[in-house]
Amino acid sequence: MTVQAEAHAAHPPEAHQSSRVDARTLGMFLFIASEVMLFGSFFTAYFFVRVSAHTHWPTAGHELPVFVAGINTIILVSSSFTMHWALQAIKRGNRAGLQAGLTLTFLLGLTFLLTQIREYSRLGFAPYTDAFGTIFYCLTGLHGAHVFVGLTLLLAATIRSYRGHYTADAHWGVEIPGIYWHFVDVMWIVVYTTVYIL
Amino acid sequence: MRRGSVAQLVAIGIVCGGGAALVAILIPWLPDPASRQAGRIDFVFWFVTVICIAIFALVAAVIIYSVLKFRAQPGEDMDGPPIHGNTGLEIVWTAVPAALVTAISIVSAIVLAKNDHIPKASAAGDPLHPLVVEVTAQQFAWSFKYTGFGDLTSATLKLPLNKPVKLRITSLDVNHSFWVPEFGQKQDAVPGSWNNLVITPDKNGTYPVICTELCGLGHALMRSRAEVMPAQKFLSWAKGQQKKLGGPAGSSGKAVFTANGCDSCHTFTPAGANKKIGPDLDNLRQEAQRAGQPLEQFIRTSIVDPNAYVEPGFTKGLMPTSFSSLPKAQLDALVSYLAGGAKK
Amino acid sequence: MTAVTHDEVHAGPAPPPTGWRRLLAPGWLRVPWMTALFFGIGAGITVLVRWLEGWDPIWKGSVITTVELTAVPFGFLAGIGGFDYWMRYAAGSPTRPEDHSGHGARSWRDYFRINTDHKVIGIQYLVTTIFFFVAAGLLAMLMRAELARPGMQFVDNQTFNGLFSVHAALMIFLFVIPAFAGIGNYVIPLMIGAPDMAFPRLNALSFWLLPIAGFMMLGSFLAPGGAFASGWTGYAPLASTHQPIGSVFFNMGVQWAGASSIMTALNFLVTIITMRAPGMSFWRMPLLVWANFTTSLLVVIATPFIAGSQFFVMFDHVMHTHFFDYQAGGYPLGYQHIFWFYSHPAVYIMMLPGFGIASEVISVMSRKPIFGYRLMALSLLAILVLGFSVWAHHMFVAGMAPWLRVPMMVTSMVIAVPTGIKVFSWLATLWDGRIHFDTPMLFALGFVSMFVIGGLSGIYLAAVPIDIHTSDTYFVVAHIHYVLFGGSLFTIFAGIYFWFPKMTGRMYDERLGKLHFWLTFIGFNLTFFPMHWLGIQGMPRRVADYVPRFADLNMFISLASFGLGASTLVFVYNMVKSWRFGPAAAANPWRSLTLEWQVSSPPPIFNFDEIPQVVGNPYEYGVPDARHAVFNGDRQVELEEVPTR
Ligand code: HEA
Ligand code: HEA
Ligand code: HEC
Ligand code: CUA
Ligand SMILES: [Cu+2]
Repeated sequence: MTVQAEAHAAHPPEAHQSSRVDARTLGMFLFIASEVMLFGSFFTAYFFVRVSAHTHWPTAGHELPVFVAGINTIILVSSSFTMHWALQAIKRGNRAGLQAGLTLTFLLGLTFLLTQIREYSRLGFAPYTDAFGTIFYCLTGLHGAHVFVGLTLLLAATIRSYRGHYTADAHWGVEIPGIYWHFVDVMWIVVYTTVYIL
Repeated sequence: MRRGSVAQLVAIGIVCGGGAALVAILIPWLPDPASRQAGRIDFVFWFVTVICIAIFALVAAVIIYSVLKFRAQPGEDMDGPPIHGNTGLEIVWTAVPAALVTAISIVSAIVLAKNDHIPKASAAGDPLHPLVVEVTAQQFAWSFKYTGFGDLTSATLKLPLNKPVKLRITSLDVNHSFWVPEFGQKQDAVPGSWNNLVITPDKNGTYPVICTELCGLGHALMRSRAEVMPAQKFLSWAKGQQKKLGGPAGSSGKAVFTANGCDSCHTFTPAGANKKIGPDLDNLRQEAQRAGQPLEQFIRTSIVDPNAYVEPGFTKGLMPTSFSSLPKAQLDALVSYLAGGAKK
Repeated sequence: MTAVTHDEVHAGPAPPPTGWRRLLAPGWLRVPWMTALFFGIGAGITVLVRWLEGWDPIWKGSVITTVELTAVPFGFLAGIGGFDYWMRYAAGSPTRPEDHSGHGARSWRDYFRINTDHKVIGIQYLVTTIFFFVAAGLLAMLMRAELARPGMQFVDNQTFNGLFSVHAALMIFLFVIPAFAGIGNYVIPLMIGAPDMAFPRLNALSFWLLPIAGFMMLGSFLAPGGAFASGWTGYAPLASTHQPIGSVFFNMGVQWAGASSIMTALNFLVTIITMRAPGMSFWRMPLLVWANFTTSLLVVIATPFIAGSQFFVMFDHVMHTHFFDYQAGGYPLGYQHIFWFYSHPAVYIMMLPGFGIASEVISVMSRKPIFGYRLMALSLLAILVLGFSVWAHHMFVAGMAPWLRVPMMVTSMVIAVPTGIKVFSWLATLWDGRIHFDTPMLFALGFVSMFVIGGLSGIYLAAVPIDIHTSDTYFVVAHIHYVLFGGSLFTIFAGIYFWFPKMTGRMYDERLGKLHFWLTFIGFNLTFFPMHWLGIQGMPRRVADYVPRFADLNMFISLASFGLGASTLVFVYNMVKSWRFGPAAAANPWRSLTLEWQVSSPPPIFNFDEIPQVVGNPYEYGVPDARHAVFNGDRQVELEEVPTR
């Protein structure tokens, strides 16, 4: 750092690190907190609709492919493990492991998203059919959008891993997308349980 | 703090509190209550006012006193005494407000419970105890249905004196809100649900019914009247009205016209209506010509589907669309009444 | 984080582009074509999808508008350079350490560029928000002109509804909330002894979202059918089914402004947690920092709820979904619950930073330590927690479950206790002080007195029976303005005057400042106090027309409001004049102890040459030889300027 600071005359003094937590990790966790609340607002809408329906749930005429979505859930959850594997690999300096782990995670996530889209086209009801359709598509769609964002982050990390970036002691560019990816996975379990099973 | 300063502070406080009290008493803040509920609400209002004046006087007195007494001299660069806090004081100003707001909450909760409560009738079988009225709001009109009187509907709210009335309020399109300032009670009309409101009018007279929830471009115009009358008079009004609406076509047109509140927007001389929100119905003949339609057909479509033809100079979407659900007989009566009354 | 990290690959500063390459460099030359490009992409994708799905018509106005309200802003941001660093980073290309080269503003042009210096961003924020304040105020003037007489004068009903909706939306989302963020941006890093914010690029991005949101809301007046007209609360089903397309401008504008708020709040939190100077424990932080810390927590937790609520309304409007359509199983009241779960905490988002400013000003100007420092900080946290439990006090007459009313009333009332602690502590700080009545202090005292009136009218509203009578009347309008104008706005003025010398290096004109205060104070009371009476007597809010009985008082209010508006001219004139021609300001004109005053005015480009060492509490006025912080070496000299006895 000092070398760098001398290289550029116009460098600020290094800030005092007043917490053990790394700024980037903390930032990501706070961001996730607000994401959880965004999901919270959608779940609130979901329960308003569900409770005010006063009928059997899901309302008549809505068959959800619980089994296929269950398989899809397993796919997404396993991608969390590959993500973890990738991170562990680079922590040990194993670049090939990092690359394989990231690529696998990306592909699993993509599979999930494509399966989800295929499911949409076969459901037989639309967001504008009725309130059940609305809430189903919006909740799963919100999650799908998050998977998409997660995939974008993963793509960047993957590209960089192939370009030879990241080392055993500098890998926050893998760690941060990883945290986000785990969040997306956990969120899916909640969505799946609420929408498909409960 | 020296003793003299306490006296001065108290004096300033009394002046501030006295001033605020005068403002509270001399200005007629509250509308004259015309229902039992309004009377109780007024009590809460005064209860809170007394507490608030005391707090305001305290705050104002300390600020004014500080401004007068603790002003630094020009150029002075002294600091004040380094007082960091005082646990006793801090406990007091946590506990006292807590006690005061608890008191307000208790009074409010009691009044709320009383205002929502319908006492048992003294004589069993009184059809007016409680009187149930279904209030339907829509852009931008009110309609009141007396379920106990053969679903009699009216565009103005007629109420018997000293009888508890249970309003069941709903809406056909967006949120509205029913309010009569003199009754103190207010309740939103929400599409898809029935909300209850209890009112016990205790003063004869006519009061405005106001929509207080923003409901679109006609929100400001969405007004009606509430008329409180002795129970006997109310009963005879209800009977007479039932008869009129069911009467032979032609004669009941006028009743349908007023019962549906057409007179709250239109001018129509035969009915004594003189409002200018919608087109002048005295000129219906010319207007039908301009639209290129036969008179009767023009009137009928204008009522059941007002947006089909919009009179130039008037806003589309202002006239309610719900009159399409008027019973056939009433609609016929209304159309022939309007056609007959239209100027040649 | 300004620290250079190892897995970033650095290239030196880029050479300035020449010729047509200037079109590629981030800046205003790149904005037009990037915006057009994104417009095209948005429209193209929409048309493609609709064509593939066989939806008719392929070109649908409302859908295209909605898509473009997302795509065009992204084009603008990409053009101005908001994403350059991240795009290069993501692609694995060498990144430039522009977080430092982007520091400081050398000419006024630098304020119109992406700039990562928190001081520049702070000023960008303040100037932008004051612009929107004036715009929103002028809308209010139109409203008052219409309301001066009963009947319709200048505008029709729909336009009037648009006027107050845009007025309030701009005042709240584009003025009060971001103005506090602007002051915080400038002051917080200085106050905690940090060289910058934790995420400077994110900081720049959050600023540039604001003009987007603002112009989107203002621009809704140009949309076919007029501006959004369902109030700033945008209740469904009115907003979702009975509004022109302008309503989507509000839905999307809120998203942009909300994203900006969340990003700034996140930045504040991380900065405050990880970048405090050595020795600055939480219990040594100035109360302004505490206030922004709690506010930021509120923002991060609550704001997603308004994002949700606006998404739902927009989907109902554009995609004909059924969140709030009871006929298809939707639940109309759900909107209000979700909306107020954000928007009640939002009123504290609009007040807590003001509490912080008031604490700074009152303590310094009274030359006394703030009374009960710890309780002051704890009461902020208490308001934060309680603020989440009172949302339904906006729904006492909305037809929600009746049993919910009493608990909501009790929690609303309880908020008076921590707020009271703050008020009484300020009064105790004044007591026996050596009070200097400079303009910031006048505004701070104006704030305490006016906010108490507004808070007490809040107590009236929180008492359910009174609220049943006064809800949705001018009594509420009076409450709004006493807390927002008398509360938030007075503290914003106090803050701007207080830090003006630090921000610009020049002193404002004290005589004009005092004139501004008195005109505002008097005009404000004449305008808004009579509204209490109007409301109780029966004048509903949000109406362009009213019964003749209220005519005289409304005329009076309108005249007073024009006077109030004119007082703003004094403020604007003073700011512009003093910024250009004012006398140079001392480093520490108020003899304050907090860190931002221990550096030059304006501060050096990286705030501190050496990170200071915090050794004491920030408000030790009157304590002999008290120090809040010490600097090494040459900094000692400036310290001598702080007379502490
Ligand atoms: C800065 C913004 C701000 C702040 C701080 C507040 C503070 C409070 N507000 Fe306000 N409020 C708004 C902005 C704000 N409000 C807005 C914008 C609306 C309208 C929204 C709309 O519909 O458009 C609104 C509406 C509103 C309503 C709904 C009215 C209706 O639509 O029917 C209610 C009802 O309970 C309410 C209550 C309160 C209370 C109890 C407080 C309390 O926090 C106040 C606490 C402060 C004090 C009480 C004063 C100081 C205390 C003391 C000196 C101690 C002693 C006091 C006692 C013992 C009482 N507010
Ligand atoms: C921070 C918040 C804030 C601020 C500062 C203001 C400031 C003002 N407000 Fe606003 N207002 C709200 C927040 C705010 N308001 C909210 C939340 C609502 C509720 C909306 C809803 O129902 O949805 C509302 C509603 C509202 C109404 C009720 C509308 C209705 O219900 O029908 C009215 C009516 O008088 C009003 C008036 C004013 C006036 C006269 C000012 C003045 O203080 C403005 C003064 C400023 C200027 C005028 C601009 C600068 C001046 C110049 C450049 C000088 C030149 C101009 C002239 C001399 C004309 N406001
Ligand atoms: C809230 C106000 C309102 C109410 C209540 C109302 N109208 Fe109207 N009416 C209007 C407006 C505004 C127009 C013009 C715009 C339009 O045609 O839609 C109109 C148009 C008409 C027309 C067409 C006149 C023309 O010249 O084009 C007729 C006929 C009419 N109304 C009859 C009625 C009748 C009968 C009732 C009661 C059953 C009624 N209106 C209730 C506001 C109202
Ligand atoms: Cu109906 Cu306002
Ligand atoms: Cu609130």
